[in-house]
Amino acid sequence: MEPNLASYLALSGILFTIGCVGVIFKRNAIGMFMCIELMLNAVNLTFVAFSRYYADTTGQLFVFMVMAVAACEAAVGLGIIISFFRNSQSVDVDDASLMKN
Amino acid sequence: MNMFLFAELTVPDPNVSVILPEMIVAVAGVIVMLYDSFFPKQRAVSGAIAIIGLALSAVVLATMWGGNVPATSWNGMIAHDNLRLSFSFVFLFVSAMTVLISTVWVERENVPAGEYHALLLFATFGMMMMSAGNDLVIIFLGLETLSIATYVMAGLRRADLKSNESAMKYFILGSFASAFLLYGMALIYGATGSTNLTEIAGKIAAPNFPVNFPALLLAGGAMMVIGFGFKIAMAPFHIWTPDVYEGAPTPVTAFMAAGPKAAAFASFLRVFVLGLPLVAGVQASGYLHESWTTALAVMAMVTIIVGNVAAIMQDNVKRMLAYSSIAHAGYALVGFIGAGMAKTDQARDEAIASVAFYMLTYAVTNMGAFAIVTLLSQKNDRRTQFEDYNGIGFKSPLLAFSLSLFMLSLFGLPLTAGFMGKILVFSSALGSGNLLVTALVVVAVIGSAISAYYYLRMIVVMFFRERTTEWIAPKITTAIGAVLVIAVIGVFYLGLFSDGLIQRFSRPGAAVITKAEK
Repeated sequence: MEPNLASYLALSGILFTIGCVGVIFKRNAIGMFMCIELMLNAVNLTFVAFSRYYADTTGQLFVFMVMAVAACEAAVGLGIIISFFRNSQSVDVDDASLMKN
Repeated sequence: MNMFLFAELTVPDPNVSVILPEMIVAVAGVIVMLYDSFFPKQRAVSGAIAIIGLALSAVVLATMWGGNVPATSWNGMIAHDNLRLSFSFVFLFVSAMTVLISTVWVERENVPAGEYHALLLFATFGMMMMSAGNDLVIIFLGLETLSIATYVMAGLRRADLKSNESAMKYFILGSFASAFLLYGMALIYGATGSTNLTEIAGKIAAPNFPVNFPALLLAGGAMMVIGFGFKIAMAPFHIWTPDVYEGAPTPVTAFMAAGPKAAAFASFLRVFVLGLPLVAGVQASGYLHESWTTALAVMAMVTIIVGNVAAIMQDNVKRMLAYSSIAHAGYALVGFIGAGMAKTDQARDEAIASVAFYMLTYAVTNMGAFAIVTLLSQKNDRRTQFEDYNGIGFKSPLLAFSLSLFMLSLFGLPLTAGFMGKILVFSSALGSGNLLVTALVVVAVIGSAISAYYYLRMIVVMFFRERTTEWIAPKITTAIGAVLVIAVIGVFYLGLFSDGLIQRFSRPGAAVITKAEK
């Protein structure tokens, strides 16, 4: 049986939730970043599923844009995390606590 | 050969003249980058190139105002209306002021200025795209261009742990919010089969309502509220703001408080007010509209209360201004909801113009205040506590009096810009006659009253406290002086003679997209 639209949407919803829960509970900056990537890819799956459903290429084009943006985000984000690591010897976000109310 | 595929292809509709202002800014950014790689450390030159690019873009933008420009171009992806024009002016103004403010800081901290100015120009390009984009793809790309550049700018002081922390928090929470925004866009695409806002509005408005999944539309709207809410620092998505604003270099904080916030308001307005309008007789549209206006009204109340109450308890000036910027996002949201609730197209356009005008008044005042904070902060932003301002009032009267003026304008004293901005957004919201919106305006007025405490505290600290440590008056450079003159004139001009400008912002024609396509 070929999976229908609802299955794809359910899968992408589950992946998005896993990513979201991961960002909230993980304390390692790299791990959090990976969870964000998982969320972006869940969205890509949604786009592709709808694109196929409507037989419309806009959704697929959107996915290309998201991929390009995710790559830029990875480059910048890892740079930021590395510069934090150089100064604090840690990538744990709980150590990022210089500023408090 | 698949002939069917060829029939499906749409003819591209490139119209370079429409996006010329954006292109000028982007090209200026590239020139700054190239120049910096051949002649490094030429801070004044790269700053001058940036200013020239921004000014040129503003001139081109001004000629487009009222010119013969199509309502939409690039296959409906770029909208040309008053929303785009008025907000783009705000962005260009904010960036130019940021370049001027940073001159002091760039010298003091020995920042690689070429990178900094290039990033600032790319961020401006992203903001302009966000206000011009009439398609979810363009809005997303504009937002990411802006965000990625801003993440780097927040962490530009690489050796400083505070700056690193600020950048890391902004980056992780920012991309987290972008993921929500993107999921919202995917669901809206799924519900309507299109990413073009004009088409989405058309599908929702169709009497037989061909929107496939109303639940997807609602979920998509909610996700997008989270994504945009993060960018405008709306409670409960404001948690990142104080930390990021405090840790980022002061000129970058000034930029973040005025620029990206206004940009997010521009696309927020375009997506929700113009893209998901209330259509009489269509049940799902009514339900969607009621959901988002109610949700936003409640969140605006929380934003105003949280921002103002938390600002009272701050000892750091940058942190106080961060909470104040949260509160100001709440006031601008009042006008936003007024636009969403407006009963006629004209009332809606006026409400949109009031939000643009509000962001302009906030930008003018904020840039002036941050220019002084930058000047006084010294190396590594050491001097940003309230106590560092003790008793400077009569020792550096010029700085103290202009900072007092900016504080009063932020508070909303009559005759200043802040007062005009508030009056306009509140009255556009009251025009809808809705009970919840009226309650919101009452909360906003109470919030402004609370804000008197911390804005006046600044003035009290400067004029009535004894200074125990030595005070070395900072030298007011030409650039900072220019910012102060522009901001002081702006505060009075927008407060007293703003009629013409408001009419310009709201002149009928802001609705050209929806009208032209119907």
